[in-house]
Amino acid sequence: MGQPLVSELLRDHLQELANRDERADGRTQWQGRDLSVEIGVLERAEGSAKVVMGDTIVYAGIKFQLQTPYPDRPDEGGLMTSAELRPLAGRHHEPGPPSPLSIEMGRVVDRGIRESGCINTKDLCIIPGEKVWQVIIDCFAISDDGNMFDAFALAAIAALQNSTLPGERFDVGEDRPLPVNKTPIMCSFQKVGGRFVYDANREEEVGGDERIHITLGEGDHVHSLQKGLKGVFSASEFAEIMDAAKVRCAELRKIVDSL
Amino acid sequence: MGGYGDIQMIDENGVRVDGRKAGDLRPIEIELGVVPVADGSASMRWGTNYVIAAVYGPMEAHPRKIQRQERAVLDVRYNMAPFSTTDRFRPGFNRRSREISKVTADALESVVQLELFPRSKIRVEIEVICAEAGTRCVGLTAASLALADAGIPMSDMVVSVASGKVNDVVVCDLNKEEDNYGEADLPMGILPNSGELVFLQMDGDLSPAEFQEAWDYNMAAAMNVHEIMKEAIAKKYGGES
Repeated sequence: MGQPLVSELLRDHLQELANRDERADGRTQWQGRDLSVEIGVLERAEGSAKVVMGDTIVYAGIKFQLQTPYPDRPDEGGLMTSAELRPLAGRHHEPGPPSPLSIEMGRVVDRGIRESGCINTKDLCIIPGEKVWQVIIDCFAISDDGNMFDAFALAAIAALQNSTLPGERFDVGEDRPLPVNKTPIMCSFQKVGGRFVYDANREEEVGGDERIHITLGEGDHVHSLQKGLKGVFSASEFAEIMDAAKVRCAELRKIVDSL
Repeated sequence: MGGYGDIQMIDENGVRVDGRKAGDLRPIEIELGVVPVADGSASMRWGTNYVIAAVYGPMEAHPRKIQRQERAVLDVRYNMAPFSTTDRFRPGFNRRSREISKVTADALESVVQLELFPRSKIRVEIEVICAEAGTRCVGLTAASLALADAGIPMSDMVVSVASGKVNDVVVCDLNKEEDNYGEADLPMGILPNSGELVFLQMDGDLSPAEFQEAWDYNMAAAMNVHEIMKEAIAKKYGGES
């Protein structure tokens, strides 16, 4: 239904809260919502995860397909990530072809996973030059109460780490676990009332400004960054959220690795 | 129906591939309020089917040209998630999904009291998260639960079940193998209080006697499913089920 009409009032309200170092739902600046991650929840997927962050709920499902490798990389498989914000997930999501936002989400999640090197594309080779696996990560929104980026990224890596290459079904050998060597984690921040907060909910997204997404791997290596929406930020602001991201990514990595 | 062949799907004792007898339903679980941001929602686990339905509205109907002066318009979408099937289901335009969306809307329009909400729109979103067989039936049933959860007045609930024929035996509530290799499929949408129908499809080959048997299975099954639905609603909202 487009942008809510209350946005100016909401912005003022969020500004007042920020001035007192508060958030609308009582969280502190770098505090995330209650989180749960479940794996193996989709019977038809070769790997799957459900992530719940407050009222935000998403699934990620892993499917594999056979494909012919690119001529310049005959022994490497492929990786594709898509994110769907179907109208099921919120009154502001319209039916129709993928929105620019959902394409951005898919691509940002994809970059974090791809660039971390958590999947060695050579592990996906079946017959060099002829047959390789394509890994498809489908991120799917059930309920959008904000910060779909982090929910999708977390569900994607959790699903990936617990997926099985279906060799038997495709008649190309035995089923085996997909080797995933690393755990890239995304943390997203949104400027609300003039300061950045972690894990913005829908209200903070509507009444906020720019957002920044950081994906960190082992040893706090940076694998992907994205600035979205209108707004400016300073080097010191960025340094501050990078510090917060390092702390939170490490916590989330522990959760994913213990699944 | 696809490949009728030598596949044995019912043994000499009348036991089906998933252990059921001819008249048995698959296990069903219902949860309301599974999409917290929606005005109403419900999920149904029905065998290995898992379907989520959400309702938004009544809300302003836009663009204006879709508005109806005397009633609300019902905007229904049925969709399969890409990971809901064994081979990935490619997102995008799909004739099957369009048809199912339409017949589901036709069924729901017959019970939702649209005239109470002139010029408005009610959105019904059905997403198949895991597909086994009979997703259109599960979707329609889940949609009527989501409408109830949203507090939208209806003259009756809609309960949808499909029966059919496998190895020349009429069976209730087809599973995946039976749907793929069976000889007939008869999905119906039934109003449990009046016994009337709002949805009917069929494909395959049934003799008049077999047709009557499948019809009766659906009618009986709908009453059983309705009990489970009433329990789920009573569990959330209290009161007599």
